[in-house]
Amino acid sequence: MSTTTLIGFGGRLALRVPYRAALVSLGLTFAIIGVLTWSLMTGSYPLDSTQVWATLFGNSPSDTASTVVWEFRFPRTLVALLVGAFLALSGAALQYVTRNPLADPSLVGVSQGAALVVVSVTILAPGMGSYLRPILAFGGSLAVAALILLASSSRRGGDTLRFILMGIGVAALISSFTSALLTYGDIDRAMSALGWLAGSVHSVGWDEVRWLSVTAFFVIPAFMAAARPLSAIRFGEDVATGLGIRVRMARWGLIILAVALAATAVAAVGALGFVGLVAPHLARRLAHSGVGMHLVLTGLTGALLVGLADFAGRAAFAPIQIPAGLVTAIIGVPVFVALILRTQARSQL
Amino acid sequence: MNATRTICAATGFWLCLGGVVLAFLWHVSVGAKAIPLGTVWQAITAPQDGVFDHVVVRDLRMPRAIFALSVGAALSVAGALMQGVTRNPLAEPGILGLMAGATFAVIIGIGWFGLAGTAYVPLFAAIGALIGAVLVWTIASAAPGGATPLTLILSGAAVGGFLYAVESAAILLNEDTFRNFRVWLSGSLAGRDMATYLWALPWFIGGLIAALLIAHQITALAMGEETAAGLGVDTFKIKVAALGAVVVLTAAAVSVAGPLGFVGLVIPHLVRLFVGSDYRLIVPFSAIVGAGYVTLVDIAARVVLAPIEISTGIVTTMLGAPMFIWLVRVKL
Repeated sequence: MSTTTLIGFGGRLALRVPYRAALVSLGLTFAIIGVLTWSLMTGSYPLDSTQVWATLFGNSPSDTASTVVWEFRFPRTLVALLVGAFLALSGAALQYVTRNPLADPSLVGVSQGAALVVVSVTILAPGMGSYLRPILAFGGSLAVAALILLASSSRRGGDTLRFILMGIGVAALISSFTSALLTYGDIDRAMSALGWLAGSVHSVGWDEVRWLSVTAFFVIPAFMAAARPLSAIRFGEDVATGLGIRVRMARWGLIILAVALAATAVAAVGALGFVGLVAPHLARRLAHSGVGMHLVLTGLTGALLVGLADFAGRAAFAPIQIPAGLVTAIIGVPVFVALILRTQARSQL
Repeated sequence: MNATRTICAATGFWLCLGGVVLAFLWHVSVGAKAIPLGTVWQAITAPQDGVFDHVVVRDLRMPRAIFALSVGAALSVAGALMQGVTRNPLAEPGILGLMAGATFAVIIGIGWFGLAGTAYVPLFAAIGALIGAVLVWTIASAAPGGATPLTLILSGAAVGGFLYAVESAAILLNEDTFRNFRVWLSGSLAGRDMATYLWALPWFIGGLIAALLIAHQITALAMGEETAAGLGVDTFKIKVAALGAVVVLTAAAVSVAGPLGFVGLVIPHLVRLFVGSDYRLIVPFSAIVGAGYVTLVDIAARVVLAPIEISTGIVTTMLGAPMFIWLVRVKL
């Protein structure tokens, strides 16, 4: 394999760097910067790339350009990128932990749990500060995840697939409660909640960027530390136990991390479907690598996907905006179908 | 069937029918202004033009109750047929993509082809339901392992999610055309006119008759294809007939009430608990019990949060999804 090993700290730290994966991640980073520039340029007040970069570095050509970029386009694009990375990582973690290639936060009800809580808060207690939203959303998603895991575990085994079916059922149930709340609530608030539910990035601001960054600061390092237990759990619980991993604790820890990421993302922009499903698989296609590198690639791919989806939804039928969530679903379902066609043989019911 | 069983079945049938009639009358009497059952009965049997309550009953409440009855019967029978033919306890028009297809086709037919005439709605719904069913079935059988309950549900979820996304985008792009369809999309019996129903009525009747005619062979099919073939059933012909009946029934239900999830899942299972596995009994009982169920659900949807009304589809999902979860846990 085309890898090289960096050894530091007197042999205590050895880092294997796969060339291809490193190159791919570099390429992805450039692509993300490209999408960022592109989406800062496009809109009802077009700018060119030099103006955009000048504005970002503080010497803006005009006050209008500064307002457009700093107040509207930049926070929105940042949120899209962060949310993409969050959902992708969450999906990857769920897929590793449940050893199920079809796991995705929006498919198994985790996103819907967060959505239900956020909609309830928006409708029943509209005065509540927006900083509480991600925390409450986390509570809701965690409850749903625990419910699904407990309901799908059984002595007969084979619970990874039951997990998905259970998730589909729970997701339908929770969505129906959300819809009922929407009919019950005041029409203006319901309409704002409805736009949010479709997975729309267009009303976000610096608040969302702030709490997404705070979450990223705490959760992403934990994720990277989890790369080792993840790579062991991949081979099954017995092997992982044999390798000295406390499987139970690692599993629940990772699920909590995955749920935290998905819940924060949903609290910011609503349910963006299928990103957590598509990004990990795409990342694996781009470059084979160990778990750690795969997580990095997954995060970058997710950011790129949602950044592009938001851009496409904004530009394709301007001035009408298609929520990014619809774009990701339209892209994601064919991938989902391809996965159904490929993966059943290994995991018969 | 021996004599005792026939008597039992007949008694049960008439009891259920009586229950449905009661549910129907209750449905009509409940509302913003409670109308006593006596007046309801009078309005149905001997209507007088001048009496306000009679007009309310005949023009506003009764149509809705009739919609509820028909839709419930159609969806439950469709679910029963699907469960029998695919031998999949989790089969249902909503889960296996038929409803998504029908809804999608109606939305596209109205948005792109500007079909204002209600006559075409059932036809479009039927084409959509057929496409949805074929798509889900093709994906599931192409998967390694074939069309197991699991692959069917997953491909149903995939097709449903995709159509929903495209549909939402189409609605966003043309909000004016679709303003009236917002409520319909969540599965509601409110505000539909009699004209739509009359266009769908032949579809309801045709589908139900077809279902009753093939019920006997479905019993054989439910025991397995080899068994059915051994009993002299032309399995391919019956499957096609069943698919046709399911598509027609789903299309009729969707064009009247929009997507009502999980009705076709709950009722056949409930019925099977009492009448066993003979589809000659399951089909008619599903029709009756399903009609009563949706009528009761619609009462709940109107009463629980009165004066606000919840969409009927939301309530059927709230009641049906736990059943789905339970079935996954027990049967898979």
